[in-house]
Amino acid sequence: MPIPMNRGAFALAGSSLAFKTGTWRSAKPVHVHAAAPCHGACPAGEDQQAWLALLQEGHPQQAWESLVAANPLPSVTGRVCPHPCESACNRGHYDSPIAIHAVERWLGDQAIQNNWPYPRLPGSPRPERIAVVGAGPAGLSAAYHLARRHYNVVLMDAMPAAGGLLRSAIPPTRLPRDVIDAEIRRLLAVGIEFRPRAALGRDITLEELRSEFDAVFLAVGAGKSRHWDVDGAVPADLHEGLGLLREWLAVGAIPKPNAVVIHGGGNTAVDLARVMRRAGVRDVHVVTASGLPGPDTDPDDVLNVVPRELEQAIEEGVQFHPHRTINRLIMRGSKVVGVEMVRLKKLPDGHGHKARVSFEGTETVLHVDMVVPAIGEVVDPTGLGAILNGRDFIDTDMFGTIAGHPGLFAGGDCRGWIKKLTNGTVSAAIGDGRRAAEGIDALLSGRSPMEASRPALPFADLNLAYYESAPRIALPTLPLSQRDDSREIEGGPDTSQALAEAARCFSCGNCLACDNCWTLCPDNAVLKTRETCSDGSHYLFDYEFCKGCGLCATECPCGFISMVNDD
Amino acid sequence: MSEMNDPRARQPRFRGLEAGHRACQGCGEALAARLVTESAGPDVILTNATGCLEVFTTPWPQSAWRVPWLHSLFENSAAIASGVEAALKAQGRRSKVIAMGGDGGTFDIGFQALSGMLERMHNVLYVCYDNEAYMNTGIQRSGSTPHAARTTTSPPGKERMGKRHLKKDLLSIIAAHHIPYAASASVAYPQDLRRKVRRAMEIDGPTFLLVHSPCPLGWGHDGSETIQVARLAVQTGLFPLVELERGEVASVMPLRQRVPVAEYLCRQARFRHLFADDDHRAQEEREHLQALADYNIERYGLDGDGDDPFDADGADTIRRGGPANS
Repeated sequence: MPIPMNRGAFALAGSSLAFKTGTWRSAKPVHVHAAAPCHGACPAGEDQQAWLALLQEGHPQQAWESLVAANPLPSVTGRVCPHPCESACNRGHYDSPIAIHAVERWLGDQAIQNNWPYPRLPGSPRPERIAVVGAGPAGLSAAYHLARRHYNVVLMDAMPAAGGLLRSAIPPTRLPRDVIDAEIRRLLAVGIEFRPRAALGRDITLEELRSEFDAVFLAVGAGKSRHWDVDGAVPADLHEGLGLLREWLAVGAIPKPNAVVIHGGGNTAVDLARVMRRAGVRDVHVVTASGLPGPDTDPDDVLNVVPRELEQAIEEGVQFHPHRTINRLIMRGSKVVGVEMVRLKKLPDGHGHKARVSFEGTETVLHVDMVVPAIGEVVDPTGLGAILNGRDFIDTDMFGTIAGHPGLFAGGDCRGWIKKLTNGTVSAAIGDGRRAAEGIDALLSGRSPMEASRPALPFADLNLAYYESAPRIALPTLPLSQRDDSREIEGGPDTSQALAEAARCFSCGNCLACDNCWTLCPDNAVLKTRETCSDGSHYLFDYEFCKGCGLCATECPCGFISMVNDD
Repeated sequence: MSEMNDPRARQPRFRGLEAGHRACQGCGEALAARLVTESAGPDVILTNATGCLEVFTTPWPQSAWRVPWLHSLFENSAAIASGVEAALKAQGRRSKVIAMGGDGGTFDIGFQALSGMLERMHNVLYVCYDNEAYMNTGIQRSGSTPHAARTTTSPPGKERMGKRHLKKDLLSIIAAHHIPYAASASVAYPQDLRRKVRRAMEIDGPTFLLVHSPCPLGWGHDGSETIQVARLAVQTGLFPLVELERGEVASVMPLRQRVPVAEYLCRQARFRHLFADDDHRAQEEREHLQALADYNIERYGLDGDGDDPFDADGADTIRRGGPANS
């Protein structure tokens, strides 16, 4: 519109729009869509920020649907996961992290209570049939993610019920059996055929599966205890940790020595220690090469246990001996009467690895009449001869592909790297199953498998002036005197607590629709839209007028806006 | 683009000050004027003293204003507004008159006209955009320039550490006119600013608003930090946000958290000389400014002690995790 020149010293209203101040700019604001750090830290691949936002908006069912798009077992993981998401939570640098595990558990329990159906992806039924061997977390997750994509899935397990390690190794005080039953029953109802009592190498062979199915996913877990001895010495009555725990879960029997030392630093060691302590064993010692959590401990060197479980175990009187190993068994005949411990640390060996170095002169003796190793498990080779090739674990890529065996996939605890990198958590197995489903789907659809990844938003990119401090919710915990072998120790949040916790979320990297950019632009260059823009927010940058001052990026609370070069 | 498809034409707020104006990047005054006019609405007539705002909004033959707007001279924004208001009254019209000026045109040059307007009880809202110096003419000190700030006419050197004198307590002078409503606001707290504009618009009589508006060029900070700097001025106590009715303090925005003035000063080049290691006067002047902030906090009782330490009314938090949620 040409601006009329006039002698009357007046100008038409808003005629400055003819002057495009956008030409002044050397940097321009853009919406970045960084990931919240919880998302990046989640072994299962959940986007916690996304489902917390849906819950905060008052849509619990949609929040649960967003959650189960990655992890179909939120009631389980909300109880047993060591929640690396909370360790990564940016709010931890401000007051205290969001209690993500508690909200996850609440959503999972709500879904069970209200029988919300698991959503399926759009699409039509696929003709291919896929076998999933092992109905633990990895197998359940893979079967679910394949069924979501409309494949015919047959899930088989050696045991009479699905659940794998959830049933055989996690005490009901941490994971009540009715929770496992309800969640798995609902999961199988998505359209998964379950064949119980079908063990690989006993009832079925790999060759049969390969000929009957278009793809096979092996999620057989790590069921064989790692070999343990001390300088070749082994007590005659040796029981290993996972075996004892399984026996106790199955029949309720547990040995009751006067004093026991458990060697190992994982959940099996701690769970077993607590069971034995509650059964009346006077002295329960846990000897581990790792450290206890504390300001001086390297996070990589901390005991691989859910932090609250460790606190509860110490409360219950379990004695921990961190940074130590068992140096020698003190035997009388073939019977143990004590162990000699020595201090050690994992230190760099000069070749880029870490080696355990024990320190001479720090030996101490524990008088015990039982030693239980709980140092981890390896894959049971039954029925897997050619795949395992004499190794402890199966080698795959991130989508579960086994090199040289097209159509054969593996995931969960039976994969070597998962044990090393994530210490074999339930969530890691669930993530493995999800990625394997992507690998299988990609193979059968003739495309390359994909895993989305976004950079995480650093704490420094948040503008804290717009947040208020608020305490993390406190969860009910069973008092020491009331704890037994069956009652769940930690309770879940109530509705108002879950909502309050969702509202604490910083929404790292994702637009909160707070209007700050729209309100604070001196140049009217941020426009608000009623409908969501193509990038998912309600704000448009008008680059014709944006001068590139960067105010919007500085004042965006959640790091959704970033300035980029605009030459 | 048709009017219906143009998102600019469909903004859910009144655009009194349109894009295309020539203010610097991150201009606090442009933001303040935009916020004031959008809260005041379309039924207004503006008068504008000479200054940045007048220059950057009306490069002839264009105008960024979408409401009636008059400019005459540096010293007479309030006098023109008085005349417009009297004329409207004579015609029986009820449009609100808003007079505007910078701190030069208000604290110093136009003060006589302003005082007269208040004394005659004209129904005018006077808004002073306070960027604490004559920015338009090249950053000369004004009556509003804070103590120890560097301007081109108060350079720090052997004799002085920036401006020798203190910032004029204009609000108290205005309050002494016994007008119905006078308040201070800041661009860092837009909700609070809007509320104060609406409050003033409702009143039939003279009202006054002092809006703290950082100038990236004159204060020496990046344009992206305008809000941050303005927020710190409030949080340190150097620029208290208060409301006065008939000269009495009616309400104040309590401080969310007290911030030492050095946090505010160190972000601005106009106070850089206060951080010279080898000059004992630097620390002395920093302490002086801290004492002035403490005086404001004590005088207006800015340390909040209510249930809601965040002042739900004023602080523009996004209410994540705060008392409203629990």
